[in-house]
Amino acid sequence: MDAATIRELLEAAFPGAASVDVEDRTGGGDHFQVTVVSTAFDGLSLIDQHRRVNDALASPLADGSIHELRIRTKGTK
Amino acid sequence: MKTLNEQISDVIEQEPVAVFMKGTPQMIMCGNSHRALQALHAAGAPITAVDILPDPRIRQELSSISGWPTIPQVFVRGELIGGADITEELASSGELQQKLDDALGADRAQDVKVVALQLA
Repeated sequence: MDAATIRELLEAAFPGAASVDVEDRTGGGDHFQVTVVSTAFDGLSLIDQHRRVNDALASPLADGSIHELRIRTKGTK
Repeated sequence: MKTLNEQISDVIEQEPVAVFMKGTPQMIMCGNSHRALQALHAAGAPITAVDILPDPRIRQELSSISGWPTIPQVFVRGELIGGADITEELASSGELQQKLDDALGADRAQDVKVVALQLA
């Protein structure tokens, strides 16, 4: 799975996000660092913010195409 | 014998701080499990570790209970705190220590132990 595909999934889940950044940490297409800044996170606890990202990437997480996922999220407020 | 699901639920509910990880604190098999443990140590947490690697069903049952897809998973008094990223973030902001102080008291023990689940 390439970073662009992960980015598309995140952009679909967080339309209008202030920023979506995806880094393939090892170049192997399965260890990713994702950073999302979105109003969708405003008022949510950190764990609920991460749950939203996990939900957006549920399919590649479930089928093992993402082996490792590091998440950083921020609201806009 | 209790089912795997019951055993996992027991650990989550009964242990002050439960960490489901790859490997054990003595032999950590994954960088993210390492990060979570480091953050917990830094915040002065007791740790009850469960190695999820012996059987893939452990991870499946755990994720069905927690609704969290990745490993590690950290629980304080039965509440899912998060994975390595959140645990690190809360440790560096001081919130993790505060949460532990509130849940377990400031003069808590900081023992590290490992629970092995019984596989049918």
